[in-house]
Amino acid sequence: MKTWGILILALVALIAFKLCTFVTTEYNQALIIQFGKPVGNPVVKAGLHFKTPFIQEVKYFDRRILEWDGDPNQIPTKDKKYILTDVTARWRISDALKFYQTVRNETGAHARLDDVIDGDTRNVISNHLLVEVVRNSNDILTAENDEFDLGERIKLDTIQFGREALTKEIFAAAAAIVPQYGITLVDVKIKRINYEESVQRKVFERMISERKRIAEKFRSEGKGKKAEILGKMTKELRRIKSEAYRKAQEIQGVADAKVTRIYADAYNPGRDFYQFLKTVESYDSTITEDSVLFLSTDSEYFRYLRRAK
Amino acid sequence: MPNEFSEFKDDVRKVGDKLKNLSGVKSGGQAAIVVLALLLLAAGFSSIYTIDPEEAGVILRFGRYLDTTGPGLHFKLPFGIDKLYKVQLTTIRKEEFGFRTSQAGVVTRYENAEYNDESLMLTGDLNVADVEWILQYKVNDPYKFLFHVRNVNKNLRDVSEAIMRLVVGDRSVSDVLTTERVAIADQVKVKMQETFDLYGMGVTVTNVILQDVNPPETVKDSFNEVNAAKQEQEKMVNEAWEAYNQAIPEEKGKADQTIQVAEGYALERINKADGEAKRFRALFRAYVQAPAVTRTRLYLEKMEEVLKRPKQVYIMDPAAKTLLPLLNLKERPAPASAPAAAAGGAQ
Repeated sequence: MKTWGILILALVALIAFKLCTFVTTEYNQALIIQFGKPVGNPVVKAGLHFKTPFIQEVKYFDRRILEWDGDPNQIPTKDKKYILTDVTARWRISDALKFYQTVRNETGAHARLDDVIDGDTRNVISNHLLVEVVRNSNDILTAENDEFDLGERIKLDTIQFGREALTKEIFAAAAAIVPQYGITLVDVKIKRINYEESVQRKVFERMISERKRIAEKFRSEGKGKKAEILGKMTKELRRIKSEAYRKAQEIQGVADAKVTRIYADAYNPGRDFYQFLKTVESYDSTITEDSVLFLSTDSEYFRYLRRAK
Repeated sequence: MPNEFSEFKDDVRKVGDKLKNLSGVKSGGQAAIVVLALLLLAAGFSSIYTIDPEEAGVILRFGRYLDTTGPGLHFKLPFGIDKLYKVQLTTIRKEEFGFRTSQAGVVTRYENAEYNDESLMLTGDLNVADVEWILQYKVNDPYKFLFHVRNVNKNLRDVSEAIMRLVVGDRSVSDVLTTERVAIADQVKVKMQETFDLYGMGVTVTNVILQDVNPPETVKDSFNEVNAAKQEQEKMVNEAWEAYNQAIPEEKGKADQTIQVAEGYALERINKADGEAKRFRALFRAYVQAPAVTRTRLYLEKMEEVLKRPKQVYIMDPAAKTLLPLLNLKERPAPASAPAAAAGGAQ
C-alpha cells in the first residue's frame, strides 16, 4: 500500500505542476491572460514559466518570421500600363501585447498587412513607369547582343530607380506603419509582375512583330554583307589582274629595251653591211612565186645582159 | 505534455491490472511495484535516441534550446521534458518552378499541367519569357532552420520567384533565352543566399539551375524565325566567301601566268637578240676581211635563189618605152593567158 501511496502522491504533484507552469518553446512567445485581460509583459524567452492556476490562462504567439502573400493586384503604372502585381512580405510579432490588443491574432494581422502593403504598393507602382518596376539597373543598355547591334538598343529607356529601390520604398512606407500593431516588417519583395490578360495578348502581338522585324533585319544584313564581300571580290580580281598586266608590261619593256641595246651594239659598227645584208635577206620574203618582177637591164644583176663588162 | 503523461499512466495501469490478473498476484503492494517498475522502464526507453549519419538532433528542455547532437546514441530526459527535433542535414532539398516532376526515375515523368503563373515573367525590354528552374538547397544550421522561420518552404518559393524575376527583368528577352542563362542562375543564387541570410533561415543554396527557357507559346514561331534568319544571314555570308575563295586564288594563278608569259617573252627576245648579234658580229668580222667580194657573193647568191621563184620576170631595157616583155625567163604553159597572169601577179 505504501508504493501505491507514492504513486498517487506523484500523480497529484504532477497535476499541480501542470496547473502552475507553462512552457514557451524556441519558436513561440506567450501572454498571460487573467479574466480576459493580459497581465504583465509578454513571455518571450523560451523555457518553463509559472502562472497562477485556474485564473490565468496562456495565449501563445509565434516568434518566428512569418509569411504574408498578398493577392495579385491590378495596378496602372505611371505610363498607364495595367499590370498584375503580386507582393510578398516577411514579418514577425515583435510585441505580443500590442499585437493581441490591436489585431488579436494572425488573421487580424493579415488583414492589416493587406491594407498597408497593398496600399503602399499601389502608391509606389502607380507613381513610376513600368520599366522602373521591371528592371533593376541599366545593365541592359550596355549588354552585348547581336540584336542590339542591329540598332535595337536605342528603344530602351534609361531607368532612374529600379525594382529594388521601389521595393525598398514600399518596405519603408509599410515598415513605418506596422509597429503600432506590434509587428515588425522584415522584408517586402515583388514576387510577380505580369501583364493583365488583354494587355498580354497585345504584348505577344508586339513581340511577334518585333521578332519579324529583327528577322528581316538579319536577312537584309546578310544580303548586305554578301554584296559587300562580292564587291570586295570584284575589286580584288581587278587589282590582281591589273597588277599582273602592269608587271608583265614592265618586264616586256625592260626586255625590249635590252634587246634594242643588244642590236644597236652589235649592228652599229657594221651599219652599211647590216643594211645590205638585211635588204638582201628581205628579198627572201618579199619575192614569192606570185610576184611579177620587171627588172631593168640597168640592174646590178642583169647588167651583163647588155655587155659583159 | 502532462496530458500525454496521464494517458501514459493510464495505459501502464491497465497493463498492470492485466498482469495482476494473469499472474494471479493478489497483493496491491506487489501490483504497485510492478507499475513503478514499468514506469521506470518506459522512462528508460524514452530517454534513449539515435541520430542517423545524415541527421542532426536538436534538444529543447522545457522548450528552451539545450543542445545540438550529431550522429550516434544519445540520452535525454524522459516524459517530454526534453524534446527532440531531427533535421536532415546532408540531404539536398529541391524546389521546382514552372513545372513539377511527377515521377522521377530513369525516364522521368513531368506533369503536363502548365505553371504559367510561376514561369511567365517580364524581361527588361518589356517582353515575356517562360522560365523554368529548380532550386537546390540544404540545411546548414538546424536550430535556425527549425526555429527562425515558420514556413521555410513557402519562404523559399516566394523569395526564389521574386529574385528570379528581378534578375530576368534586367536582361533582354533574347539574352535570357540564349547567352545569359548561366549568369542569371549565378546571380539568383547569390541574391537568394543574401536574403536567406537576412532571414536567418539556416539554409545554403547549393544550386540554381535554369531548365527550359522559352518564349511564350504564342510567340515561339516568330522567335524561331529570328533564329532561321540568323542562320540565313550566316549562310549568305558563307556563300559570298565561298565565291570569293573560289575566284581569288584562280585569278592569282592567272596573274602569275601572265607574268610568267611576259618573262618568257623577255627571255626569248633577249636570247634571240643575243644570238642574232653574235651571228652578225661573226659575219661582220669575216666580211671586213674582204668586203667587196663578200658583198657581191652574198648578193648574187640571194638573187639566184630569189629570182627562181616568181612565175614571171620581165627584164626591160632602159631605152624601151613600152611595157613589152623582152624575154620570158620561164616557159608559160599557156602563153595566151600571159597578160591575165601578169595582171594577177602584179597584185
